[in-house]
Amino acid sequence: MFNRRLTMLVLAAFIIAATGGSVTLVPAAAADTTVTISQGVDPVTMDPLKRTITPTTNVHYNLFDTLLRHDRDGKLIPWVATSWKRIAPTVWEFKLRHDVKFWNGDPLTSADVKFAIEKIKDPAEGSEQGPRIATVDHVDTPDAYTVHYVTAKPTAMIAGYPWEVFIVDSKYWKEHGDAYQAEHPMGSGAYIFKSWRKDESLVMDANPGWWHGRAPIDHAIWKPIPEAAARVAALRTGETDIITNVPAQYQIQLSGGRSTQLESARSVRVLFFAFNTLKPGPQQNRLVRQAFNYAIDVPALVKAVLGGRGYETATPLPSNFFGYDAKIPFYKHDLAKAKALLAQAGYPDGKGLDMVLNAPSGRYNKDKEIAEAVAGQLSQTGAKITVKIQEWTQYVNQVSNRSVTPIYELGWGNDSYDADNTLTSLFTASARLSTYSNPDLDKMVTDARYEIDPQRRQAIYSKALALIHEEAPWLFLFEYEDLYASTKRLVWQARGDELIYIDEMKLNG
Amino acid sequence: MTAYLIRRAIGALWVVVGVAVTVFVILHLTGDPAAVMMPLESTPQEIAQFRHNRGFDRPLWLQFGTFAWSALHGDFGDSLRHGEPALGLALERVPASVELALAAISLAVLVAIPAGILAAVRRNSLLDILARVFSLIGQSMPVYWLGIMLILLFGVQLGWFPVSGIGGLKHLVLPAITLGLFSMAKVMRLTRASMLDILQSDFLRTARAKGVLPLRLILHHALRNAWLPIVTVIGVEIGSLISQAIITETIFGWPGIARLAVQAIYDRDYPIVEVVVILAAVSFVAINLLVDVLYAALDPRIRYE
Repeated sequence: MFNRRLTMLVLAAFIIAATGGSVTLVPAAAADTTVTISQGVDPVTMDPLKRTITPTTNVHYNLFDTLLRHDRDGKLIPWVATSWKRIAPTVWEFKLRHDVKFWNGDPLTSADVKFAIEKIKDPAEGSEQGPRIATVDHVDTPDAYTVHYVTAKPTAMIAGYPWEVFIVDSKYWKEHGDAYQAEHPMGSGAYIFKSWRKDESLVMDANPGWWHGRAPIDHAIWKPIPEAAARVAALRTGETDIITNVPAQYQIQLSGGRSTQLESARSVRVLFFAFNTLKPGPQQNRLVRQAFNYAIDVPALVKAVLGGRGYETATPLPSNFFGYDAKIPFYKHDLAKAKALLAQAGYPDGKGLDMVLNAPSGRYNKDKEIAEAVAGQLSQTGAKITVKIQEWTQYVNQVSNRSVTPIYELGWGNDSYDADNTLTSLFTASARLSTYSNPDLDKMVTDARYEIDPQRRQAIYSKALALIHEEAPWLFLFEYEDLYASTKRLVWQARGDELIYIDEMKLNG
Repeated sequence: MTAYLIRRAIGALWVVVGVAVTVFVILHLTGDPAAVMMPLESTPQEIAQFRHNRGFDRPLWLQFGTFAWSALHGDFGDSLRHGEPALGLALERVPASVELALAAISLAVLVAIPAGILAAVRRNSLLDILARVFSLIGQSMPVYWLGIMLILLFGVQLGWFPVSGIGGLKHLVLPAITLGLFSMAKVMRLTRASMLDILQSDFLRTARAKGVLPLRLILHHALRNAWLPIVTVIGVEIGSLISQAIITETIFGWPGIARLAVQAIYDRDYPIVEVVVILAAVSFVAINLLVDVLYAALDPRIRYE
């Protein structure tokens, strides 16, 4: 009797489990104008003023507007702000459109911009976006459609990253509070937030009243799929339309697929190995650093590990950034020269060189494999190179307190399209991530930051980059080419800044 | 029985307290969440502000005291990643995990017990050999590999089932098989072994001699006596599903609590990890207690004083 009862109970549990929780996300009738986008992780909040991680901000960029936007080539274009200019050495003026409305009908005004900046600046808010607006001292609003960013000192770069700060409905926010906004956002963007089941799906519908004109795709579903192989499988079965972070080994399969196509974009992210010149060791010798740069065959590395999806770099900057100087040559692969430099440094045939190459695992595309390949190439100089791979969270702690030594792998990308962020964060003595110190370089970077004349500024950066190239505090590697894949029914071009704007997509036919 | 249950509940409470202390200390020894949570270009001042806002600049014992006091009041703090209460974030993912675990264990039990019984009754037959081979393969296959293979075969090639996400019976099939197969193989092997033992005992020979019908002999006389080890293993398997779900939920994009935990560990999101580990400990202890209570129901000779 008891057996039967138990069996029935288990059976009932199975039936309940098997049939429960069924969800219909989008009406079947709308299926032809729906796109599904699969990133590796779900967004973490709908509060657009807190986090900076790309999978989260990618969703926010479709819900909220920004003052300016970058086009695909990295050129700044008007957006909610129709114009921007410096009206005084420390004042940047933005003129806003008059026809921008939040989804609830509230007009977007200068007060909303001021509110967003002040929320981010408030230390009690604990926003990660603080560094973006660090140069903005305060915001003035002379009228409802004029915003003034006031800086403490004149800055060469437009203040406050106005292409990254999302504009929120200050009236709605004050009425409902932070916690409510984190789940029920109110934006003015191309898409209206509909629903969000965490780690499952986030649904948004085209905003019919968008000032830029209704976007061609009616509905968008963000469906996170953590595992890369499963993301690829979901694309092949048509369960999703776009997948991000496609591992290089899938590129042939996806580009030759019946229903899939590969999308790629030259990334703003560079990958490199830095020498920790602040810690004792042979890496403090410039000749050793230069020798290692000559020992690396970057094109061969990119071909072997990334299937050719990368572009060699001679300096820390991607080629489309302000400050880049194409005249600075690459360290061309030359093993004989590398060995000669090592001998000059006191390490003939690499004897006496026993160094560790540190790298994270799973943070950047093929990070571990690249470290292993670089170690193999460096070993050809006769030096003993050991690879040490660590999980990212452990690794980044050591990078942040500069304890990782003597050589460590890191990637760097930002959408400022300007040299300032990279050089300040990674090469100036006081920066948390810099393991190189040179007062001359510090002065150049600071001078360039406050030099308003673009030509003079470019000249300073050219000089700074030449110095960095000569001093070789990095093993210069390459700019990534980001890989995405989509279904063939979609017309879309990937962007180098890793952003996904659904209003830039349409369906075939 | 009541006194026994109270004694066990008090013991269980100590287990949960022990787990809470251990996870708190280990987490705080594994690294600073500021380095992971804040953008790399943050200044030392911004990092210090983050630590101060979250209370990470206070002595560890004080942090634990605050955590313990708040936890007793049901407040495990806000997730560092999501900025929302950690307990709420964890609890809203429990139904999906329970759905998957129930389906997996039900599938395992419904297949394994009849197959195990049949294999034992028809010892050395083709069926028995197949069951043993299946049991060996089922326990040797890594969950990760199995999940990907099922996706490729039944999702991509045959197109029978969706490969990712939640949404009804079809979505449940592949993750449930992936999660349940190991348990299925284990329970099947144990059922077979347990039944073989019983089938050779004297009381069964007597029953057979008395003319008891074969079906009644197996289900009523043999199975009843074979239940105890089987139920024990099922209890342990339900517990181990919690850890195996980490892989299954990640592969199949299943929005459960295990996936939340994995991401939280990567991010050093202390409040989430703490609440998930404590919930897992509570479930494990509760399942163990339930199994012990079931013993008494299954075997009249067992009585708790």
